[in-house]
Amino acid sequence: MDVLSIENLHKRFGDKEVLKGVTLKVPEHSIFGFIGKNGAGKTTTMKHILGLIKADEGKIQVADETVVYGQTKTNKYIGYLPDVPDFYSFMNAREYLNFCGEITGLDKKTIKERSDELLSAVGLDKEKHRIKGYSRGMKQRLGIAQALLGEPKLLICDEPTSALDPLGRKEILDILLSVKDRTTVLFSTHILADVERICTDIAFLDGGSIKLSGKLSDIKGKYRSDEYIIEAENDEAIKELLKEFRGLKRADNMSGKVLTFKEADISLYKVLGYISEKKLPVIKVERLEPSLENLFLEVVG
Amino acid sequence: MKSLYAFTKKEIMDQLRSNKVLVLGIIFIIFGIMNPAIAKLTPWLFEKMSDSLSESGIQVGKITVDALMSWEQFFKNIPMGLIAFVLLESSIFTKEYQSGTLVLSLTKGLKRHNVVIAKTVVLVLLWTVCFWMCFGITYVYNDFYWENSIADNLLFASFCWWFFGIWVIMIMVLSSTLAQNGSGVLLGTGGVVFGIYLISMIPKVDKYMETMLTTGYSLTTGASETSDYTVAVIVTLIVSVVFFVTGIIVFNKKRL
Ligand SMILES: Nc1ncnc2c1ncn2[C@@H]1O[C@H](COP(=O)(O)OP(=O)(O)OP(=O)(O)O)[C@@H](O)[C@H]1O
Ligand SMILES: [Mg+2]
Repeated sequence: MDVLSIENLHKRFGDKEVLKGVTLKVPEHSIFGFIGKNGAGKTTTMKHILGLIKADEGKIQVADETVVYGQTKTNKYIGYLPDVPDFYSFMNAREYLNFCGEITGLDKKTIKERSDELLSAVGLDKEKHRIKGYSRGMKQRLGIAQALLGEPKLLICDEPTSALDPLGRKEILDILLSVKDRTTVLFSTHILADVERICTDIAFLDGGSIKLSGKLSDIKGKYRSDEYIIEAENDEAIKELLKEFRGLKRADNMSGKVLTFKEADISLYKVLGYISEKKLPVIKVERLEPSLENLFLEVVG
Repeated sequence: MKSLYAFTKKEIMDQLRSNKVLVLGIIFIIFGIMNPAIAKLTPWLFEKMSDSLSESGIQVGKITVDALMSWEQFFKNIPMGLIAFVLLESSIFTKEYQSGTLVLSLTKGLKRHNVVIAKTVVLVLLWTVCFWMCFGITYVYNDFYWENSIADNLLFASFCWWFFGIWVIMIMVLSSTLAQNGSGVLLGTGGVVFGIYLISMIPKVDKYMETMLTTGYSLTTGASETSDYTVAVIVTLIVSVVFFVTGIIVFNKKRL
């Protein structure tokens, strides 16, 4: 089942058409990476999902209910972490969660239980200071806690890792990964390494529409090339292989002890057979995985 | 209802922790003490000056001070209190537009009109406490030194001024739903009050204008009667309600 479906979403700001027919489906219990360059329209799309911006055209459904601009009915299914989260700085984390729980309409006991659990999950349970003095990483973590307080079906995070250092990023990604069983995560980013680390599904937004979307493993499978690399221990082995197989090429930009070839030119098994027959000292033979980086460049071009 | 209560509670916490309550409290207490103090000190000041005055040929008679003089000070000083109030509270809405804190609350299901109601309630509450505290302090001192009973219609005259403040708050609320920042709110509020003030300079029209409510001192001296104020009170009431409701409607459509 899809928690979120967007159909043919259009939006223009003045004479600038930002979204030109975005269509997107987010399956339940996925960690969905929403990838796009700066200014691609990621934030704009997310604000549409929350009913904060009026669409020019198109339909958005959250848990099979249609989103209406200016209304908050479908927002009960959603937890939202904005790109630059700002909270009431005169409160501390616990007071803020308490406030969030009360405006959501949760009862005292539930608020207390969930606050305890979430604060320790994001590592803020010992923090007594007011939010005023929080670092960006702490604000992002509090942001995730407040977004999860209502036990949403869909957690929307707008570039949760962009402003953080590697350690802070890892912390946030680990938290997102750990809530996968409870909810569906949709997060926007332009950091492809983050996507590779935790996402099950992805979509590329570019030029106002989705250029590519689906399961990460499917997409990688589809774009998988038939290219292999062989890394050898010494140059003699390399030379011997080059003499035997005509289609082998030295890979540039490496130590010089790496060769590449395409399955179409040379059979992998012939190469492997030759290596074992001659007992050549190889370090690895590997099929090249398409990196998201390459995919991104290919799609965005 | 529960979320309205929670949001109101948050507003009050904000007012307390950002020291706005403290600052306003001090200002209005100082005014409250100053009113009788100035009245009390006037004869002494004149005595000090009388020597130099008589040298220049001006004769100063004996000055009798009473509660009316102190109440005159009250009505002279309270506008400054209101100005301080408006300056301090002008960004009560707009600071939340800029920080994006409102968006988070709204996406959690808080109804938009509850934001306007909660903030208005807190403003009215704060103004009411400040105003009547200032009134109370002046009243107690006056009673101690002189006799409050010589001021006619004292409560009604003060009520009128308090009500004028409520009207100004409603202009603030409406401006806040229209403007993006605090200076916009100040401009809107100042503009409307000044505009009404200009219109009320036209003879015969003044009776219908909200600014009539600020002339309560003449009630205490007996120069005017309560019935002269009926129309202005009704006009102010209607306009305040209209501003408030319009504020809610505008806010419901506002892009945040
Ligand atoms: N309120 C607005 N008025 C006018 N233009 C806007 C408005 N909001 C967004 N835009 C424009 O829409 C485009 C997309 O903006 P958006 O913030 O959605 O991009 P993004 O993908 O989130 O980028 P980033 O990675 O920088 O956060 C931008 O070119 C921006 O200038
Ligand atoms: Mg963005």
